[in-house]
Amino acid sequence: MVSKTVKVTNEQGMHMRPASVMSQTVTPFTSSVKVIFNGNTYDAKSVMMLMSACIKCGAEIEIQCDGPDENDALKAAVDLVESGLGD
Amino acid sequence: MYQGIAASRGIGIGSICLIVEHELKYDAVKITDIEAEKARFQKAVTRFTETTSAMAEDIRKRIGPKEAEILEGHLVMISDPTMSGEMEKMIATGQCAEASVEAVCDMFIGMFSKMDDDMMRQRASDISDIKTSLLKILLGVEDIDISKVAPGTILVARDLTPSMTSQIVRENVAGIITEIGGKTSHSAILARALEIPAVLSVPGITALVRDKDTAIVDGTEGDIYINPEGDVLTKYIRKREEFIRKQEELKHFLGKPTLTADGKKLDLFCNIGTPKDARKAIECDGEGIGLFRSEFLFMDNNHLPTEDEQFEAYKEAVEIMKGHTVIIRTLDIGGDKDIPYLHMQKEDNPFLGFRAVRYCLGNPDTYQLQLRAILRASAFGKVKIMLPLVTCVEEIRSVRKMISEIKADFDARKIAYDPAIEIGCMIETASASLIADLLAKEADFFSIGTNDLTQYTMSVDRGNANVAYLYSAFQPSVLRSIRHIIECGNAAGIPVGMCGEAAADPLMIPLLISFGLEEYSVNPVLVLTARCIISKWTKSEADALAEQVMSLSTEAEVVSALKAAAKD
Repeated sequence: MVSKTVKVTNEQGMHMRPASVMSQTVTPFTSSVKVIFNGNTYDAKSVMMLMSACIKCGAEIEIQCDGPDENDALKAAVDLVESGLGD
Repeated sequence: MYQGIAASRGIGIGSICLIVEHELKYDAVKITDIEAEKARFQKAVTRFTETTSAMAEDIRKRIGPKEAEILEGHLVMISDPTMSGEMEKMIATGQCAEASVEAVCDMFIGMFSKMDDDMMRQRASDISDIKTSLLKILLGVEDIDISKVAPGTILVARDLTPSMTSQIVRENVAGIITEIGGKTSHSAILARALEIPAVLSVPGITALVRDKDTAIVDGTEGDIYINPEGDVLTKYIRKREEFIRKQEELKHFLGKPTLTADGKKLDLFCNIGTPKDARKAIECDGEGIGLFRSEFLFMDNNHLPTEDEQFEAYKEAVEIMKGHTVIIRTLDIGGDKDIPYLHMQKEDNPFLGFRAVRYCLGNPDTYQLQLRAILRASAFGKVKIMLPLVTCVEEIRSVRKMISEIKADFDARKIAYDPAIEIGCMIETASASLIADLLAKEADFFSIGTNDLTQYTMSVDRGNANVAYLYSAFQPSVLRSIRHIIECGNAAGIPVGMCGEAAADPLMIPLLISFGLEEYSVNPVLVLTARCIISKWTKSEADALAEQVMSLSTEAEVVSALKAAAKD
């Protein structure tokens, strides 16, 4: 299992569009991809779960990947958050 | 009269079509053939996806991509594994499809409606729409076809579902009234895009009206009249004509330069609070940004924004404005604006205390970050720096010194910036006004902030109801101050602008033209209104009015003289 903490920098936080882009990005990976925020764990492949975390701009989130392609999955997810979640 | 949320401007008068929703009732029976129930559910989801995609496509073509986004969001949500997946899991335990849809949707509605975030709460109503649509498909209930209503119809519904709104023909629907929904709901967005007057969230309205009742919808004020008296109706027919005439008139000013009646070109800029607002300024035809409040970067944050974070935000606004002027006001905090992580001390007299440029100069490390970020952004367009709450010449000198040091550092490190960047000050204190001639020698431009100038000149806290009556920019003292500031700026040959609310006030504009103000910075939605009013006055007419008004002794006399002379 690998993980990394990143900061959400897009102005609107984890809203509809950023959450969709995130789930679309990580769904193709075999590994599980979780977002840990405020002590709770959310499935990053689910838009609904990502939105329900109510992650706002400036929040620090931990991304955790587990599986055969975990390193690639983590890199894809982290790059996405750092580039502003497509916003 | 009933009241609700004014969601889309204009006046609609017409005959009511009441949209009665079928109750979506079902028997929550235990399912024995689970595979068959799953297939029934799958079919409903497929049908939902097909109809929603078709509606989204229709709205995209007919109205615009932004308006279609909500329906596209519905498609994303229904295809989410936790939505349809959870529903299927419940069906697998023997629940019927209807009960499964309802339970899973209700769970998410409960979750989203509790969040302290407007946009997130909006998702709750999206999920509610999905639930209704899916249940209708499963139960075989057809929506009413509102594409066939007669011209002059006022639609009244508990809520307008996306499928209903997508059928609206703008020529036939004169107004919309609903029981639920806010300013950012799907109904509100579509009503605005279609320019149909709408009042939302009117409690119990569906029970108060009948089909064919006459209704007035005032979407500007949020008022509704059902079967109004003759005189009310006459009044609103006139109001509607007036509104339509004004809208038509304003449209003529779109894309035109801002000219007085005798052809003098003035600058009409916008006041904005975030980089995204710059887009609004462009849409509303603003010619530049006369006030970019930089506080948002500091207030909507849990830490001091870094130089890079600030640079990105300023650069974004500057790039959106494509070479048009962007005047960035440096941090204006203190007074009533507190920022928790800066741990500012509580003061007995915050409006006379450690705020705005005083705070900035007292915290040079923080201030440097902002100045560096603004200078870096100046390489991408036409940026100016504006200092808030200046009261003496030393303040502008100190900031100039800091900026020269940063420039030297940038030169050494080969960081790009605009070497000719202008540094100006807000004139919003009695002191700054009185020494405007001295400040004009040090500043590259002036911008009059009428809100603070009125407060400090009149020594009045506008929030205090007992003295609020004194708070008016039409007080003879405030008008004299404004005239003096503009004269000093003009005499020194530096541009003078105004970024307070008064710059868009139809009564104030002729005086400002007479005094020689050249830059008017207003809320984006008021750009066309201000341009229209400016176009009606010649300098000589404005001068005659100003001469009359400036000889009056009270605020009441001033306002009544200006009202009598106003050009509609």
